[in-house]
Amino acid sequence: MTTPLLLILVAAMAFLATHVAYEWLAKRLLIVSGAEYLVLGVLLGPQVTGLFSPAALDAFQPLVILSIGWMGITTGMPLRLSQMVRIPAVTYRLALVESLVTIALVGAGATSAFAYGFQLDQAAALVPAIALGAIAVASTPAGLDVAFGGRRRSIPVLQQIEVAHGMDGLMGVLAFGGLIAYLHDATPLLVRALTTTEWIVVTLGIGTLGGTLFHLFLGNEESPDRLVIALGGAVILASGAAAYLDLSPALATFVMGVILANSLRRPGPVAEVLRSGERPLYYVLLVMAGVSWRPESNIVWWLVIGHYLILRTLAKLWGTGIVTWLNRAQERVGLDWGRALIGQGRLTIALALDYSRRDLPYGEVVFTCAAVSVLFTEFFAARFVRSAAEPLMLPIEQLTATTEAVAGSVTETMTHAIPGFLRGDRDDRHAPDEDEAPVQAERAADELPEAPPSTRSSEDR
Amino acid sequence: MRRLVILLLLYAVMRGVFALASESAGAPTLMLFGFLILAAYSVGELAAGIGLPKIVGYMAAGIIFGPSALGYVSRPALVELTPVSNLAIALIAFLAGAELQWKEIRERGSAIVKMMSAELVLSFVAVAGTLALLRGQLPLLAQAPAAEVFAFSILFAAVAVVHSPAATIALLSESKANGPVARYTLGVVLVMDVAVVLIFTGVLAAARALVPPSGGGGGVQVGAVVWEIGGAVLVGGALGAAVSLYLRFISRELIIFALLIALLGAELARVLHVETLLTLLVAGFVTENAGGGRGETFRHAMERAAAPIFVVFFALSGARIDPLAVLPLWTIVVPVVLVRILAIWGGIQIGGRWAKVDPAVRNNAWYGLVSQAGVAFGLAAVVADVYPARGESLRALLLATIAVNQTLGPILFRLGLQRAGEIVPEQRSDTT
Repeated sequence: MTTPLLLILVAAMAFLATHVAYEWLAKRLLIVSGAEYLVLGVLLGPQVTGLFSPAALDAFQPLVILSIGWMGITTGMPLRLSQMVRIPAVTYRLALVESLVTIALVGAGATSAFAYGFQLDQAAALVPAIALGAIAVASTPAGLDVAFGGRRRSIPVLQQIEVAHGMDGLMGVLAFGGLIAYLHDATPLLVRALTTTEWIVVTLGIGTLGGTLFHLFLGNEESPDRLVIALGGAVILASGAAAYLDLSPALATFVMGVILANSLRRPGPVAEVLRSGERPLYYVLLVMAGVSWRPESNIVWWLVIGHYLILRTLAKLWGTGIVTWLNRAQERVGLDWGRALIGQGRLTIALALDYSRRDLPYGEVVFTCAAVSVLFTEFFAARFVRSAAEPLMLPIEQLTATTEAVAGSVTETMTHAIPGFLRGDRDDRHAPDEDEAPVQAERAADELPEAPPSTRSSEDR
Repeated sequence: MRRLVILLLLYAVMRGVFALASESAGAPTLMLFGFLILAAYSVGELAAGIGLPKIVGYMAAGIIFGPSALGYVSRPALVELTPVSNLAIALIAFLAGAELQWKEIRERGSAIVKMMSAELVLSFVAVAGTLALLRGQLPLLAQAPAAEVFAFSILFAAVAVVHSPAATIALLSESKANGPVARYTLGVVLVMDVAVVLIFTGVLAAARALVPPSGGGGGVQVGAVVWEIGGAVLVGGALGAAVSLYLRFISRELIIFALLIALLGAELARVLHVETLLTLLVAGFVTENAGGGRGETFRHAMERAAAPIFVVFFALSGARIDPLAVLPLWTIVVPVVLVRILAIWGGIQIGGRWAKVDPAVRNNAWYGLVSQAGVAFGLAAVVADVYPARGESLRALLLATIAVNQTLGPILFRLGLQRAGEIVPEQRSDTT
């Protein structure tokens, strides 16, 4: 079977699974599907059947880079300032400290693990260790989607988890992008060698230009065809330019995502186009990751991997617990919300694959850490979220039910007493502004029975 | 003005990125793909602003940014972006098939075949005769014996009669024209596309008998051609049936599904050695007519998925044009192009009267038959493959002719649709 045909069939399988397996598993068993494609990739790759040769894998690098870029922009899109300012500052404080604790703890632990395990000096161990720290901080929002969808955004613990996912994405992409810029040692053909800061500026510039081009291109016309062309062209250009310059495509497109989220009057249609490509591209990314995975039986490898998994879990569980306790926010969000951040998914795989494809030191070890983490945690991401949030939601749900019952009774009495009472109330309502409209639409959508998770926009996270 | 700003910005981005690239940088394939989507679309809109079809703008962008001008899209990059062109051809063929309704074939099929036959015979004879007459201008044929002149003239004519389904579908999609002229033109182009595979095979066999190629390489066998066409109908039918089932029972995420089907069809055709265009044409036809009423929804989804790919496809077609290569051959290219256009006009007039079609169709359908693109490029490559030494100069002449027809064709087609009143002026600035 030829490689392109194989890839098409794999993509077709991934695509069908998106709507069959994913929704079925998610609805009935509360399982986030996806990691099995990593196993499928391993089976197709040189390690097992050899259907995908390393040369064939090289031919699909553009698709891999586009997928990495796509994960970057979908991570940036939910960061809409006009909605973020409505969230209490303590929520950000908790999320930021949790991210920093994870990076620091995993980074420091991995430095010592690499140094002792592979007999390296601390400086040489620092690069893969920082990469692991950046990868470790990322957590998948898929669990929150599956467990609660876009519902109950006003519930503090869910809001905290949602903000933490966003912060994790921000910190992971920034740290990883910074590391790649730091490691950039190639001298440009036509200008002098650039410093790390300059390379970071170039990466951010690519994302900014991508966002600008999108706006200029789209203009005032919002036809779906034009939107697809503008968005597709800008994401492909930004990812491709970053990869061509040996920079991080995820960081460039992340910046582009943030720009679009904050400059568009209605980011909903853009998020919808991005969402339609996100899961199939993630599955393709997983398959490609599996194909390129070359694990070794070296015991040191597995010690480093075990070290990573334990440290990351501890950082997420204890880091969140301690920081919540120090901020006296346990009544608001509880001490266990870190459980909801244990699941890793698309961004983890994207960053790890980006690291390993560059032939950087210990790329295989770093990638294996991420792959094993995704394999073990993504399946249960929704259950982690539910176990973290449900105990805090029960009293709120009871209160909501009581309030609704009282409000319903009062309304009914008033309607009987004053005919037209409800109609007058509706007429007095003001038209929703641009920022409120999506929220209200979401709330309306929440009332629909069993809305499938994949039909929600990524903003819902 | 906004388009110019976009182009300037894109130009600056590319300059900047290439200046920052190191010696060890890999191929910029992905970046060029994104660049071409935005740049070619912007040039296309500039072209639309002055009343030209957008695809002329896309091709102009290809020429400007291609190897013969600014060189952003280099020759190796053109090779690396070939899968995009293949995907575009697959999408075009599927969409073309999906345009055909069984009812319409019953109503117009006979007339289309008559028009196509008359146009084919007249164009073939006229172009072959013109080349034979002008042989003194072409070093390849100047001193050649009569048999060789005849062989190369009919080979040239077999490629010159080919039309461009890609340009036709793209322009119809852009203009949203759906009147009789549009339908008849599309019908003639599609039927000719199938017929030309047979004609070219026969002509190549005759040429090989008259002028045996050195080494006897290349060429096409009759059995292979039968399988190429018959197999394409079978494979396309099966693919179309599978798509119909999907539409009936699942029918979700149609845009991504459409891309996958086009890729799968093209790859299956390649692996099974059947005709790609015909495979997808049949698949599109079966989907439209057996899709349980959902064929149209799928076609719209595919049109949406195809929009950026068409843009890049035509830009890449433009990038392959080397205007400087046309100039030395102008003494042959210009007469051949004019004679071909005249023959197309005459053929449609004769065929139209024979089929008793509406005079508006007879007088305007020929405009849409001037375009040439992908299929003609492919056949020219086969000629060069069979006759490695002499075929190369014939190929250069064919490419020059195709380049002119490719540029002129969409402009004429749009003019024809306007004359027939099938393009509403308000729809001029519609998106692709």
